[in-house]
Amino acid sequence: MATDTTLPAAATEDRHETSLHALVREAERQLIICNACRYCEGLCAVFPALERRTVLGTGDVLQLANLCHDCRACYDACMYAPPHEFAINPPAILSAARLQSYQRYLWPRRVPRLFRGRIGVFTGMVLATIFCIAIAWVTSGPEALFRGPANGAYSPYEVIPYEPFFLMGLLPAVFAAVITYLAGRAYWREIGGRPAGAGRVVPLLKAIWHSMALTNQRGGGADCHYPRDDKPSPARRRLHITLVAGYGLCVVSTLSAAFLQDILHIDPPYPVLSVPVLSGTLGGIGITIGCIGLVMLKKDSSEATSVAEMNIKDYGLLSALFFLATTGLFTLMVRATAAYPLVLVIHMASVMLFTAMAPYSKLIHAVFRFQALVRDEMEAAAEQARRR
Amino acid sequence: MDETRLRVPEWTKPLWDVVVVGGGNAGLVAALSANDAGAAVLLLERAPHHMRGGNTRHTRNIRCVHRKDEFYTGDYLFDELWRDLCNVGDGPSDEELARFTVADSETIPAWMSAHGVRWQPPLRGTLHLGRTNRFFLGGGKALLNTYYREVERRRNITVVYEAMVSEFIFDGDTCTGVVVRHGDVDYQVRTKAVVATSGGFEANIEWLRRYWGDGVDNYVIRGTPYNDGLVLARLYDAGAATAGQEKGFHAVALDARSPRFDGGIATRLDSVPFGIVVNRDGERFYDEGEDVWPKRYAIWGRKIAEQPDQIAYCLWDSKVQGLFLPPMFGATTGDTIGDVATQLGLDVTRVEKTVAEFNAAIVPGGSFDPTDLDTCRTTGLRPDKTHWAQPLDTPPFFGIPMRPGITFTYMGVKVDRHARVVRVDGSPFRNVFAGGEIMSGNILSSGYLAGFGLTIGSVWGRLAGTEAARYGH
Repeated sequence: MATDTTLPAAATEDRHETSLHALVREAERQLIICNACRYCEGLCAVFPALERRTVLGTGDVLQLANLCHDCRACYDACMYAPPHEFAINPPAILSAARLQSYQRYLWPRRVPRLFRGRIGVFTGMVLATIFCIAIAWVTSGPEALFRGPANGAYSPYEVIPYEPFFLMGLLPAVFAAVITYLAGRAYWREIGGRPAGAGRVVPLLKAIWHSMALTNQRGGGADCHYPRDDKPSPARRRLHITLVAGYGLCVVSTLSAAFLQDILHIDPPYPVLSVPVLSGTLGGIGITIGCIGLVMLKKDSSEATSVAEMNIKDYGLLSALFFLATTGLFTLMVRATAAYPLVLVIHMASVMLFTAMAPYSKLIHAVFRFQALVRDEMEAAAEQARRR
Repeated sequence: MDETRLRVPEWTKPLWDVVVVGGGNAGLVAALSANDAGAAVLLLERAPHHMRGGNTRHTRNIRCVHRKDEFYTGDYLFDELWRDLCNVGDGPSDEELARFTVADSETIPAWMSAHGVRWQPPLRGTLHLGRTNRFFLGGGKALLNTYYREVERRRNITVVYEAMVSEFIFDGDTCTGVVVRHGDVDYQVRTKAVVATSGGFEANIEWLRRYWGDGVDNYVIRGTPYNDGLVLARLYDAGAATAGQEKGFHAVALDARSPRFDGGIATRLDSVPFGIVVNRDGERFYDEGEDVWPKRYAIWGRKIAEQPDQIAYCLWDSKVQGLFLPPMFGATTGDTIGDVATQLGLDVTRVEKTVAEFNAAIVPGGSFDPTDLDTCRTTGLRPDKTHWAQPLDTPPFFGIPMRPGITFTYMGVKVDRHARVVRVDGSPFRNVFAGGEIMSGNILSSGYLAGFGLTIGSVWGRLAGTEAARYGH
């Protein structure tokens, strides 16, 4: 019955490893009980995935942690939830493990102190705004920030010319993409990669569907038990879908603008009834509604199943997205006025900052959760192949 | 004196149409059914909110007559369920009531769906019962939460937690009210009809001791500690007749390290068919391979209860490790059987002798198949192991201690075809009804069919609720 409770010597060197190790042990304790019970197997993908495993290592726990969509239906259904002495609380332990996974694969693992927390965001915004103003000042001259639009509505290039504007968008994105790619690769290795016998295409397509429709947040049909553990409601799922759709429309806006400009050589500003302006406006509204709604739900969220640090990360991302969307909408609203340049540089600064910081924010959950869904579909496919 | 004590709760004031005693499955179905029939209902739950629902918290499925649909893998018709019921233990206690239960079960799943219950298709953990039983999504506590949410939506049902019914007030053959202890104060509540759905007495160790002796100190109670049989005892005091055998209970083999109460499903053990089971003295005492585990799961509790000190030990080797669910508290491991026996506190020589004899008695040429009755057996042992008999010879070896775990008791009150509680003289009380475990002894004598407790609770809860509403409304 000897269960090894000593930490590996190397792990004690590192606070992250130590706390992750403790979390994995606690997750293992709880999930062994879950695996002996199995009443929750109809609720989401986590429990069938658990049933495929008789041993739980770090990779297994981090896979299940990101597969969990935090719908909390299992907590409501659990006769072993606290105050029962078994103290089973999968939403909380999996959230805690998920939180650890967010920083585990990043470079640098800890963001420098200056850029952490509210002070970090403020510092970042100030620095980025000063940077954007400086670029505008140097490239278009100081008057570019104050004079009115050349003809009716501003083009962003009147404030910052195309080449620097393009680079300001591109460089943070490249940085974020590299960091995210490396993190995703490391996570994929830790959760075991593609299991033998599984295909690629079908699991990928299924995972795309599950991540779009949030099928694992339905509590198996009764719906998401968030924010109140005892009251199923579709609110969070719908708001999240609204937010993601809004985000997608903003991407469409950016890409269509690039298409108009670089392929069709039609320069901005674009009319209100154009793809970039319409999709950008709708997208901005979607993000705004999603953010406000999700923050309101979160304020009401049950303490028993929530992890305080995760809430901080959620509030951080939601406020950043809210700021991004509202400044974006604002640039559209004021593009015929002299306020445009200042609003634009602030929006630009927030876009740059948000993009560069995205891997360090809660946004990374999208990457790991998608990978966990792919891995899960692959496991299921491999299992079916074995049965045949 | 605390001021809140002086304030009399609102629910103690009205003359209720129906008071339901006990908020498990049968009680909730009774309360909803009575309310469906127009009655104003007071539901008194003994446990606090987080423990509400009695042993329904630990249930998972229900066994009803049905045709195949998306939640079943096949048909299961009246004759087959009736046959299965007749084949457990000594068969049904009261054939008329049992036949009614089986026939009426067919309408239960639709009733449950109409009252908000959700289902899950048969998956890995449920597949062996996927044809005969219907699984509610998330298990028993999710079922209870669904019903309680439905109850909270009804204007004419009031639920009180931590409300212990300590007396029934009778006027001849009619119950006029109950005494409810709530927050250390006794309140009298008046009602036109009462439904008793308060479960059995399996959590009352002293009551069990009357029939089982001091062995009960070694029993694990799998469910709620609140099922102490107080309501049942009060009904007996008032003259109710007994149904079911006093020693009738459902018991399984559990991990001996289980909590004394409320450990539920998680501490069960699935290792028995894959190894051998020895008692305190290191001797085997029953065929571990008699049948596939789900069919023999429920006999091992009683088998262990009959052994000295009510303890047994399951031993297996690494050949079969991983073929069954790992025990939640882990297993004792060792490089030799003697090593495991030492750690478990067993007589090493005796255990080694038992294992050696077992290994030597295995009939050569058997083909091992963990999923079906296979051809691996022993010969010449008493008892033989008739399937899945493989030598224990591949280290590491594993072992766990086991205790009898009582799920529920059968002895309860006798009821008539209208769910009215019957008195010793054969006449029923006019307005006292019963449903669920407290009257399951009318249907089951001994032995058990998985999921049939929920069937009895639903069929008789609904009947009791409807009849009580008819009387009281």
